[in-house]
Amino acid sequence: MVVLSLTGCASDPAPTEQLRLTEQALAQAKAVGADEQVAELAMAEAKLLQAQSAMQRDAFKEARVLAEQAELDARLAEARVLTQKSQDQLNELNNRINRLRKQLGEL
Amino acid sequence: MNARIPLLGGVLSALLLSGCAGSQQQSSNEALEAARSSFQAVKENSDVLRSAPKDVIRAGESLARADRLSSYWGSTDDVSHYAYLSQRYSEIAGQNSALNLNQERAAKLELERQRLQLALREAKLLSVQEQSNWLEEQMVSLATSETERGLVMTLGDVLFDAGQANLKASANRTVLKLVQFLQLNPRRVVRIEGYTDSRGDKLENLELSRARAQTVADVLIDLGIDSKRIEVQGHGESFPVAENASAMGRAQNRRVEIVFSDEQGRLGLAR
Repeated sequence: MVVLSLTGCASDPAPTEQLRLTEQALAQAKAVGADEQVAELAMAEAKLLQAQSAMQRDAFKEARVLAEQAELDARLAEARVLTQKSQDQLNELNNRINRLRKQLGEL
Repeated sequence: MNARIPLLGGVLSALLLSGCAGSQQQSSNEALEAARSSFQAVKENSDVLRSAPKDVIRAGESLARADRLSSYWGSTDDVSHYAYLSQRYSEIAGQNSALNLNQERAAKLELERQRLQLALREAKLLSVQEQSNWLEEQMVSLATSETERGLVMTLGDVLFDAGQANLKASANRTVLKLVQFLQLNPRRVVRIEGYTDSRGDKLENLELSRARAQTVADVLIDLGIDSKRIEVQGHGESFPVAENASAMGRAQNRRVEIVFSDEQGRLGLAR
């Protein structure tokens, strides 16, 4: 068992592509305006850092797991920000419509 | 007896091992259950299925993987990992679906807004035409003056409900003129500045002056002027144009000023 799982670790390829994807997802989340206020973005950044340090130690499996989670954390952060923005836009539209209705009613 | 001692040790260490593995097992089972119920929820929501089918599929795939792994001994970390990914995909699908619904609603509301804007414009034009004769005399201060701050138009206190931010219907003509002017001069921008007299609480005055300026800005926006062309500022009781000792002076101080930029869109500095 021990031998098996050790070789299992060693044969894990370096997840370079996954790290690139994760960095890309993080950059995209930031580009739409996600910041440290969004919990998932902070998680993504922390996990990416851990993944990078795992890469240095050749702990490839650990790096891949962390990077995969960080990618989805970042994507969720991005989706949350976009949804919030669309909600704000809806509220603003509703305000404008109410103002217009009120003015029309007063004429 | 002696032979049983190593056996006992073996049982003990097995117990210890399983104890440790047991708590991991428990947390991975919990993660798996949480992921399962999240997936169930998005799978049964037709809005989510319609707007984020890929994320729902991935949530299902990750969940199936976690499920498969949970039947293998010693793979609790992997179970937790894929359960985590599945959970995230479900959450992303949920957010994307909410985003999609919001966008669809916004498109409908935007049409409604345009329709109302047009109706309001027509209604205001009509009421101006009907009232134009006597309104001319009723209009108290529609004065445009050239100052060191540029072109400034003053909306007098009488155009507002007393002590309130609401514009009276009698302000229609001024406001329409303003809109017309801004439409004919698309590069010009304006800064709308509110002022009050010195009676009452300083902070409340500041608040009221800002609210009145914002009301004028809102009406301009409602009539089709791009909000990017409008700045709003409240100055409260600062910068009086007359002494505050008399009722007449105070009435002059209660005003909204509209500062116009030059034709290139350059505004003078804010006060």
